[in-house]
Parts: sequence; C-alpha cells; structure tokens
Amino acid sequence: MDFSFNDEQEALRSTVRKFLVDTSPESEVRRLMATAEGYSPDVWRQLAGQLGLLGLIVPEQYGGSGFSYLELIVVFEEMGRSLLCAPFFSTVAMATTLLLALDDDAASQDLLPRIADGTCVVTVALAEQAGSWDPADCAMTAAPGGDGGWTLSGEKFYVVDGHIAGVVLVVARTAAGISVLAVESGAPAYTATLLSTMDKTRKLARLTFDGTPARLVGEEGKAAPAVAKMLDLAAIALAAEQVGGAQRVLEIAVSYAKIREQFGRPIGSFQAIKHKCANMLLEIEAAKSAAYYAGWAAAEDDAELPVHASVAKAYCSEAYVHAAAENIQIHGGIGFTWEHPAHLYFKRAKSSELLLGAPGYHLERLLQGIGI
Amino acid sequence: MDFTLDADAESLRLRLRAFLADSNPGKAPKDPDARREWLQAWRHLLAERGFAGPAWPKAWGGMELGLAEQVAYHEEMTRANVPPVHGGLRIIGPTILRFGTREQQERYLPPMVTGDEEWCLGYSEPGAGSDLPSLRTRAVRDGDEYVVNGQKVWTSHSWTSDMMAALVRTGTEAARQHGITYLLIDMTTPGINVRPLKDMAGDVRFSEVFFDDVRVPAVNVVGAENEGWRVARTALGYERSTANTSTDMRYRRILDELAALTVDRGRSHDPVIRQELARLEISMRLLHLNNLRILSAVLRGEDPGPESSVTRLMHSLFEQKLHEFAVDMLGSNALLDGRDPLAAQRGRWAWGFLRTRGSTIGAGTAEVQRNLIAERVLGLPRDPAMPAPADEGLAS
Repeated sequence: MDFSFNDEQEALRSTVRKFLVDTSPESEVRRLMATAEGYSPDVWRQLAGQLGLLGLIVPEQYGGSGFSYLELIVVFEEMGRSLLCAPFFSTVAMATTLLLALDDDAASQDLLPRIADGTCVVTVALAEQAGSWDPADCAMTAAPGGDGGWTLSGEKFYVVDGHIAGVVLVVARTAAGISVLAVESGAPAYTATLLSTMDKTRKLARLTFDGTPARLVGEEGKAAPAVAKMLDLAAIALAAEQVGGAQRVLEIAVSYAKIREQFGRPIGSFQAIKHKCANMLLEIEAAKSAAYYAGWAAAEDDAELPVHASVAKAYCSEAYVHAAAENIQIHGGIGFTWEHPAHLYFKRAKSSELLLGAPGYHLERLLQGIGI
Repeated sequence: MDFTLDADAESLRLRLRAFLADSNPGKAPKDPDARREWLQAWRHLLAERGFAGPAWPKAWGGMELGLAEQVAYHEEMTRANVPPVHGGLRIIGPTILRFGTREQQERYLPPMVTGDEEWCLGYSEPGAGSDLPSLRTRAVRDGDEYVVNGQKVWTSHSWTSDMMAALVRTGTEAARQHGITYLLIDMTTPGINVRPLKDMAGDVRFSEVFFDDVRVPAVNVVGAENEGWRVARTALGYERSTANTSTDMRYRRILDELAALTVDRGRSHDPVIRQELARLEISMRLLHLNNLRILSAVLRGEDPGPESSVTRLMHSLFEQKLHEFAVDMLGSNALLDGRDPLAAQRGRWAWGFLRTRGSTIGAGTAEVQRNLIAERVLGLPRDPAMPAPADEGLAS
C-alpha cells in the first residue's frame, strides 16, 4: 500500500513550484487581476511549450503527453499556492476533461492539439442566471438549423474565462436531451461579456446567444454522463487547488505569528493563536487526504468517483475558506488592507467554494451517492 | 499510489477469518466478574492459537507481524467485533520490552500476553492533569524497597488490575519531569486503597488509587531512578498507527448503524439532518484516509508527516460530533435512558453522548493536543509563562 506521490510526481511539483515562484509572484497576480484578459500570454505559452502542462492529460494521439489525473492535481495544488492567474482551470479541468469524456474523435482532433500547444483557450458554459451547477437545471435549448448544424439561443452565466475563450463548449438541451455544442468566439450573434466579480484572479463571463451557429460535440441528447464526469474531475482539480492555497495561507499566518509582537511577546505564543493554527493544520491535513485520494480515484476511474469528488469539493472548500479567514484574523488590521495579500487568498477561497456547487450541494450529492 | 496490501497480509487475513468464523466469543457478559472471565478466556484462546500480540516479539509469545499484516489483523478483528488488543500489550508491554531488566521481562511479559495479569496506568493525580510533570505521589528509597505515598486518579480499570505501571516522584518537585521514576506496583500490596469513581454516564470505568506507606521492591523500577519520564514516552511506537485501523473500522461500523437508524426513524428526509449526516460521512472517510497516509509513510520506513499529529484530535472530535448528531436526530427519544423500554437501541446513543464528553479530556485534553501541534509541528513559540518543556506529552 502506498498513499504518496512517486518521485516523478514530486519532481513535477518542484518544477512547477519553481516556475510559479518566478512567473506568478504577488506583484504579477495584482497586475493581471487588473487587466481585462486576466492572464499573461507569455506565461501561457511557457505552460504549453516549456512545461507541457496544457497537454498533460491529453492523450499522445491528440498532441499531449497522456499523464494521469494524479499528475494534474499536483499541478493544480501548486497553482492554488501561487494564485496563478491563467485560464488553466477552464481549459484543462473543464474543457479537456469534457472533450475526453464525450469521446468525439473529430472534435478531439480539432480542439485537443490546439489546447495542448496553447493556441486556443477553451471553456465550458453550464450555469445559467440562477447559478446552479447541476446539469438537471440546464434550461438553454439548441435547435437544428442551417447546413445540418445547430443554433443556440439564450444566456449562460459564471462562465470561467468565457470572455477570452476561443471556443466555448455549451451545455444545452435538444429534443433528445442534454447535449454539448461548440461555439467559436467569432460566431455571429454571440457576445461574451466580462462580469465584475469579487475574486479578480479568476474571471467569469456572461455569454449571450441569439440563433448562434454551433456544432454538436458527441452524440445528441447523450451528453449527460460526460458532463457529470467533467464536473467530478473539475471539482477534484479545484479541491487540489484549494489545498495548495490553504497550505500557503497557513504558512503565511504561522510566520507572521512568530514575528509579530504584542504585550512584549510573539502573538504565536498565545494559546488563542496556537489553537487557531492547530485547527487550520488539522483541516488542511484532512483536505490533503480528500483531494489526493480523489485524484487517485480519478486516475483509476473508480466507480465511486462522484462520491470522492463531492467529499473533496465540500471539505477542501470549507477548509480553505476557514484558513483564509483565520489568516486575516491572525494578521489583525494589516490583514484587512488591500495592500496585504490575505484578501487575495480569501477571495479566491470563497469564489472556488461557490464554483461548481457550494458545500451544501456536494453534501447532499454525497449522501445520495451512498444511497441515503 | 496503490491501496492494496501485500500477499502476506492477505494470507494472514484468510487465516484469521477461518479462526474467527468458529471461535468468535460473541457479546461480552454484563456482569463485571463474568466479563473478566470471558475476556481472559478469549485472550487465552488467542495466545493458544498464535493470534495474540500482533506487534509483539515472537520470543515473548507474540506474532511479530510486519506492518501491512498488522493492518490486516486489526481490520479482521474489528470486522468480527471481538475485543481489541488490550492497553497492557499496546503501552506497558513495549516499555518493559525496551527498558525493563531480563528479570522484569520474564516475570511480567508472559502473563501479559495470555491476559492472566491485567495492568493499569498510574499517571494522573488530583493536582497533575494536563501538567503531568508536576505529579506528587512520592516514592522514598528505604533499603531495597521504595515507600510510596500519594494518590492517583482517573485510573482506568484499576480495581480489576493486578499490576500498575506508575509514575512516581523520586526527585524534587522543582525537578519536574527529571525527578520522576517509572515503577511497577503490585495492586495487592498492603496500603493500596482503590475507590471507584462513577463517571457522568453512570459507569464505573476509572478510580482513585490511594497509597499509604506502600512498600514496593526497588527491583520494580523500569529504567533508572528519575528517568521515568523518558521511559514512559519513548516506548510509544508506530504500532499505534496500525492500531488506529481498528479504531477507524469500529467508527465505520457505528456510523453505518447510525445512518441506518436515521433512515429507520424516518429522519433521512430532513434536509438539515441530511447535511449533518453527510458531514459525518466525510469526517469518517477522512479519518480513514489520514490513517492510510500515516501507514503508507511507516510502511516506507519514513516518519509520518503532520497528518499523524492531528489524528487523536480528529478522532475525539469526531466521536463527540457523531453522538451529538445521534441525539439531535432522535429528538425527545434521546431523553430516555437505557432502562426505558422505549429508548431507541437501548439508549446507546444517549449513553455515548454522555460518555464522549470525556473524549476531548482523557489522555491529554484537546487544548493540550492543539498546543503540541502548534509548537511541535508548526514551530510556534512557547508561552514564556510556562515551565521548561517536557519534550513530549504522554498519551495513553
């Protein structure tokens, strides 16, 4: 029995961490937050070329390197640590996993090589105005039209990186049921608008379709299992990202508590601060167990994958929000300022907690998953 | 990553299953005397059939299993719901093995394996709880004996025990942990008075033990005089991580029973109840996974990481939450105690609700655990008002 990352996976972690320390320092995160695009095309090219991370889980036949999901969660953990601003989550954890689950060779031939080489940002549009991430609540419809293709009408909300995506995979209903349709960013009667949001490190967009031409990916009406699989895999990636962020804020809080003095002694020598930090550690260690195991289950395509995904998403979300909030509290006044990075982590923690379903949704899904 | 055990562990599992299929002792008798006989018969049978002491050396009648085999052992024994490996074997035995003299080993180890002699731990005192190094039960050397005077408290099972492993003051009180000796005391020695204490759940599981000029042979010191603190703390080995397997599996079974009860009582449609039950399910799974991470490190021959320092705290908090949920789910029915015929499952949940208030107190309070985590794992500075560090807390 071995519940650890192997030497190659640890080497990948070191490489990614070093790269992100250099390319995603706090100053760069703050600079990109303030831009409309929200990412650095130069860093994106390096993620694709030099590091090969965009094609990490893309099979070799489609221009990737065919690694497992375990390698990917190592990468996400590091990206969460550094608050990397890039459309990596949308393109890799959502669009790539959806394309692979849909198993449409033509669409894969078209899109996966462009994802792997960094020439196309792709995202998935699922949630609508009400903000539900449950595919059952998807109401938008696609109609047959023009040249044997399809047209889409309606709106999608909270689309991760939707404003910069070259291609959007839209989840919509046809007469036959849940389907996935691809829309090119230059398509007529299509607009993508950046939403003004709390967490500027991960951008969200509102997409409007009005008879927009789209092409079907996968079989009409049979996409529900693929969408569900994508949601599980994306939730696991997000959980790993949350673990990385939570671990980082604990480190920041602990180092501050060691040097900040009040009443003539370091505040970390007071039990009130110690107990906060101990509770954070307890939750972070449990969160690691949840995310790593879910990553293994994803790599093995375990039959209980949806349950492991919901366990990880529900727990890691709350552990990160709690750690990020305690980090602010331990810092006191300075932690409440715009200039201190504590709020960057707190906002990322909250936005990722709500993305793909808040903890309450995943708790319910878990219970149904175990037959209660 | 890989979650399978090796072939040796799987073959042991099959042997144990065969043994347990026809030798399971069933439910323990209620009467304390009958219960003790029943327990001894079971321990004798284990020793006879070569299934006693999974982590224990073969030379002393144990199985000397590898860690993966120990995991399988605890899984199967817990699955069969037979009594767990007793505290003597887990805590006191390893101490005598490591620090005891040959004479002490020959005298005490064989009856410990067979269960013929029961042991209790004499650590806490009325004035020495979380601050154990301040203990005051004094042992004064007189020829080739020590004369012991003082009082221990919260001593589990002391009135059924034959022997006590005690920490006693031989140096000055100012010397704190450097003036403490580890002493083995025969519980039938004149001058020992055991007064059972009833706990808040109405059970008698621990006692006060009074020592009035109790004469103990000096050869009963384990390690050297005034070295008792080091002796007591060093012997806690990694077998604890494999023993946690049995704790996990026991909780797994209890939670499954509680979930079934929730459905039976028609409470599983309540959305608030559902959320709480899901949280317990997550905690249960993560306790288990944390333990697998620890085992995995130990199997590789490495020291486990921070995950091992939070295990006890996680367990005790979980145990409390589980029972808090149970009584809230049962509602007014939880107000009936086990004697009322209408009490759900003979009042076990209300009883557990009361009993688990002790989970965050015994063997190191949750607050002490958090201090240890903050200082040892996270490296936060010590409280300058506290006495010099005792290196490590003692857990039993």
